[in-house]
Amino acid sequence: MTVAVRPSQLARIVVPLLPACAVIVLSAAVVVFGHRSPTRLTLESSWAGPSGSRPFGSGDAGVDVLAIVGYGTLRAIGLALSVAVFGFAVGAPLGTAAALRGGLAERWTLRAADLVQSFPTFLLALAVLSAVRTPSRWHMGMIFAIGAWAPFARLALVQARAIAGAPFVEATRALGGSFARVLFRHVLPNVLGPVAVQLGGVAAGVVLGETALGFVGLGPPDGVSLGGLLEQGTAGMLRAPHVLVAGALAVMVVSGSLQMASEGVRRWVTGAGN
Amino acid sequence: MSPPRARSVERLASVGRVAGAALSRSLGAFWVLLALSSLVFLALRVLPGDPAALVLGEQAKEADRAALRARLGLDRSLGAQYVSFVWGLARLDLGDSLSRPGVPAFAEVRRAFGPTAALASTAVLLGAVLGVAAALLCVGPWLRERREWAHAALVAVAATPLVAFAPVATFFLAVEHRLVPLPGDPDSGFAGLLFASGLLAVPLAAQVGRIGRAALLEQSRARYLDVAAAKGASPSRVWLVHALPVASGPIAVTVATQLGALLGGAVVLERLFERPGLGTLMLNAYAARDIPVLEAAVVAAGSLFVLAQGAAGAVTATLDPRGRR
Repeated sequence: MTVAVRPSQLARIVVPLLPACAVIVLSAAVVVFGHRSPTRLTLESSWAGPSGSRPFGSGDAGVDVLAIVGYGTLRAIGLALSVAVFGFAVGAPLGTAAALRGGLAERWTLRAADLVQSFPTFLLALAVLSAVRTPSRWHMGMIFAIGAWAPFARLALVQARAIAGAPFVEATRALGGSFARVLFRHVLPNVLGPVAVQLGGVAAGVVLGETALGFVGLGPPDGVSLGGLLEQGTAGMLRAPHVLVAGALAVMVVSGSLQMASEGVRRWVTGAGN
Repeated sequence: MSPPRARSVERLASVGRVAGAALSRSLGAFWVLLALSSLVFLALRVLPGDPAALVLGEQAKEADRAALRARLGLDRSLGAQYVSFVWGLARLDLGDSLSRPGVPAFAEVRRAFGPTAALASTAVLLGAVLGVAAALLCVGPWLRERREWAHAALVAVAATPLVAFAPVATFFLAVEHRLVPLPGDPDSGFAGLLFASGLLAVPLAAQVGRIGRAALLEQSRARYLDVAAAKGASPSRVWLVHALPVASGPIAVTVATQLGALLGGAVVLERLFERPGLGTLMLNAYAARDIPVLEAAVVAAGSLFVLAQGAAGAVTATLDPRGRR
């Protein structure tokens, strides 16, 4: 489904995407041009407030809060987008195939989606992380990927169900088109657009999940994550509230910008730019 | 009017249907729990790495590691371990805690269960009541044209992440204004519980409010509300007595789907306020690699979640006859 985009619509599509782009560019700039490592300790400036050289101040043992925000944001968005794209790539064909098969396949897909979507990430994380010595990006990705396909599969199923009985699908079947051909050539392309709308929401959910895991101490061992920053800020709440404020604002901006980006995708896909 | 005999047959059939649904639901719950506990079991045994080395550290003597492996039964075959693991679950006995020798793992879980249950159930109660109240304000006549503001506020709150918002709210209310007990205060008592569950209830209330508003709006044009109003019912009576019960199905479903998030939020808040509970227990067991406690706590928390969801499903089925199939 390609949608012709007029210049007047373009603005309404692009504007919601801007905050997410700005967040990515700014944090990349911090990572590339900032000369401080997020793990470098400078004990003399421990919990020091914002200053000219450190606009977000310093945290526990004098780590640069701005560097942590930059690296943590980039890592969180990288994780979130990979997980969302993985979930999309698995969930959309799965849900579409289930809708075309119908019956038991459909019921079981829906039930499995229900289960993994409502299941507490925290328990999964404990089960996965307790098996490894040092949790890595891969393990984090695994934890979220287990549930990430579900929202895409569910929406694809609903969308495909509406298309499954359309004349052009019937015609392909009547002409002897195989199941795979009907699925990949005729139904799936029509489903992908509406399903892609969920990419932003799922990505924002992963950012928040990763932050929560980091906050309770299940994050990366070097502590460079938005959740780790929030945890530091909570511990130093009485001495240095600026760490907490910086962490909380960063989390809200990142997840909010991803949510907004999803609105831009929705306008593009549905052609509701006017 | 059907004759009494037919009606009693009908009632018997509906009892059978409900019993069948309950049976299939509890069978489903059983499979989920078995899958979860098997995952925990496998994660601690099959994936690379010696659990004994994880517990004791790299420098431990081989003799100590072998002793620990024997104590945890890790020297036996995987099948034998699994059988005794499932048997232990059935008897609620997974051995003693590693970090507190002599204390059975399930005793630790039982002790931690109370505080978390109090936190989560207070949060569900608060979230449901506040959410329904907000939904009613969004559709009822009380706020007049400011109803849209209430809706915008709901959307904004629903988009605010708990993990970022809870520490900041705690900072302002506890540190700046001293209105609520400080995190980690052991004597915080009821005020501490109320504040923590209030924070936990905020996202739930926002979700319930949004879904409840949509469900109530769907009812708002229904004729039976006009009839009720024409018979002289006040707006409060129309919305509370006539519209709300019909809209309560989606609300119960919302609460059920939020239970997983609620458990995650409870862990975050237990960590934030340094409250004892299941989350704290699991995190400590994870940090200390206390395998029996970790297994017992994850399985217990999973069962709690599945049970609560089953209960919410049963409530939905009672409220909405269309769901009874």
